Amino acid sequence: MHQIYYIESNQLNILFQKLKKDYRVFSPVIKENNATKETDYSYGESTENEPFVFNPYRTVEPLKTFFTPPLDKAVEYFNQDESTEYLPKIIIFGVKSCDIVGHKVQDFVFLEGVEVDSLYRLRRENTIFISSDCTDFKEVCHCLAWEILPHPTEGFDLNLSPLNEGYLVEAGSKKGEELIQQYKEFFVIAKDTQLTARKVKRENLIERLKKHLLPQHLVSKDIVQRLMKEGYNLDTWQQFMLTCVECGGCNFICDTCHCFLLADKKEGNINKKLKAWDACLYANYAKVAGGANPLKTRTRRLRFRFTKKFDFFIDNLGMPACCGCGRCIEVCPGKIDIREVLKDLAKKLNIKT
Amino acid sequence: MKNIYKPKEAIVEDIIVESPTIKTFVLRLKEPFEFKTGQFVELTLPGIGEAPFTPSSDPNIKNKIDVTVMNVGRVTSLLHTSSKNISLGMRGPYGKGYPLDKFEGKDILIVGGGVGLAPLRSLLFSLFVEIDKYNKVVLRYGARTPDDIIYKESIPRWAKIKKVDVATTVDVGDTKWKGNVGLVTTILKDLPVDLKKAVSVVCGPPIMMKFTTLKLLDLGFKPQDIYLSMEKNMSCGLGKCGHCRIGKFYTCKDGPVFTYEQLNDIHDIWE
Repeated sequence: MHQIYYIESNQLNILFQKLKKDYRVFSPVIKENNATKETDYSYGESTENEPFVFNPYRTVEPLKTFFTPPLDKAVEYFNQDESTEYLPKIIIFGVKSCDIVGHKVQDFVFLEGVEVDSLYRLRRENTIFISSDCTDFKEVCHCLAWEILPHPTEGFDLNLSPLNEGYLVEAGSKKGEELIQQYKEFFVIAKDTQLTARKVKRENLIERLKKHLLPQHLVSKDIVQRLMKEGYNLDTWQQFMLTCVECGGCNFICDTCHCFLLADKKEGNINKKLKAWDACLYANYAKVAGGANPLKTRTRRLRFRFTKKFDFFIDNLGMPACCGCGRCIEVCPGKIDIREVLKDLAKKLNIKT
Repeated sequence: MKNIYKPKEAIVEDIIVESPTIKTFVLRLKEPFEFKTGQFVELTLPGIGEAPFTPSSDPNIKNKIDVTVMNVGRVTSLLHTSSKNISLGMRGPYGKGYPLDKFEGKDILIVGGGVGLAPLRSLLFSLFVEIDKYNKVVLRYGARTPDDIIYKESIPRWAKIKKVDVATTVDVGDTKWKGNVGLVTTILKDLPVDLKKAVSVVCGPPIMMKFTTLKLLDLGFKPQDIYLSMEKNMSCGLGKCGHCRIGKFYTCKDGPVFTYEQLNDIHDIWE
């Protein structure tokens, strides 16, 4: 474990303003403050003097938007003087544990495999994650079901844990350590009592979340691939498909969904390839020019989304491509709930969750 | 910084009409470009669109590639109306090709359907160049009608090469057609191959691939000796865009050539 520091809230706010001079700083802001509903947080670029806001749980948008935006230039070609994109250094605050785990899938797709997506890598290298512990959860949150804790354990540069009038700050990478060294006047080494207090706070949230999740009897990591293999022909898919309006929302809002279309465009004399998010719930997703479409029904497409997450990625990456953030549950106009689909399969197969 | 989505420039040097719906485009590359037989490329109509094709030429010929294209979709129909000397973009080659080393000393049965003969022609050229390495090459090819047969002048020439046995069929004949009429599976009887040392390679429309595979299994070919060229929606070619997934594989990077053994526990592979 790296050294852990402490920073007072007002000091963090001063540092937050300072960082904006050297970086573009993105941080969650309250999207909709509604006393009768859960408050939603949304990433925005923090403007001068805008104060730091702590988000108790994940934002509405997935983290992937910073690295693979919905519409992105992939490349210019057959063009003598290509414009090189200026890539600013970015700091993202408010990243949560689920986002970091989900983002492993994006990293696997774009940084590994046959070849590396160099623009993705540049953006990744130019970004600092300042994550934070969850101090609360949304109704749809179910990270623990996938054995993901509601506080980051890896993959962050700095992590903030709120404590009394300030935050414990843990460095998780060289980039994080360097940032602390650069601004060391803001930080003191954390005391053991503070570390104990962080531990207690974390355990308390885990207990609260467990109480929320236990009655739901959610499907676990150990059995989920079996559900895909043995449940392939069950009527679950058809039944849940009935309310699917093929909006692709579940795909777009998902931290792990990565599919994109490569499209060609001419602007003046410049030929471009664009990368646009695609959704496997769309009717033409798998259609080939000859007319064959392996995913011609909604039932198949819904099942394809699940087998990608819980069969393909377990085989290829060793983990399910779901981080339990619940974004797809919130976004779905047809109220298709990933938790309920998996539970239905387990129930019909008589497999204990 | 290497950009994996950037195509190289290729000039259309010649266009050969193969059938009413199929043309072969002879492309000359401006930069070095090599491929293994069975691998595919992504061809770009600049500023318009991109589609995957498996070259149909001899991979030993450098810097010149034939791509045989059926007019079926947006990009292919525009390709069909384009003329010589235009610039196209080419990315690739992608995927794993035919494992020629595994074919050495074997009887190689090659079954093609329609435009599916295109990738197989590249394979045939590769085999012909080193024909002594192989025991026998048996080609069985089916097209819808006599007009739809591609490489019409080449097929009789191939039949004259030593160790090569060729038979063709059409689903529907015409007044001039003297050959076999029936699906390609009807010319898979009494094959001059020794099953103990035979492999088979199949490429064609999904329905043809399905029934040919079933027939080959029935004849006694082992699942690991049936090589299938799968046609899926390969878009990026790099295992990143997601579209061509079959089970735990991406067709673009793990295929497009798979053995039936790799695929036989995956649902709906023929769809």
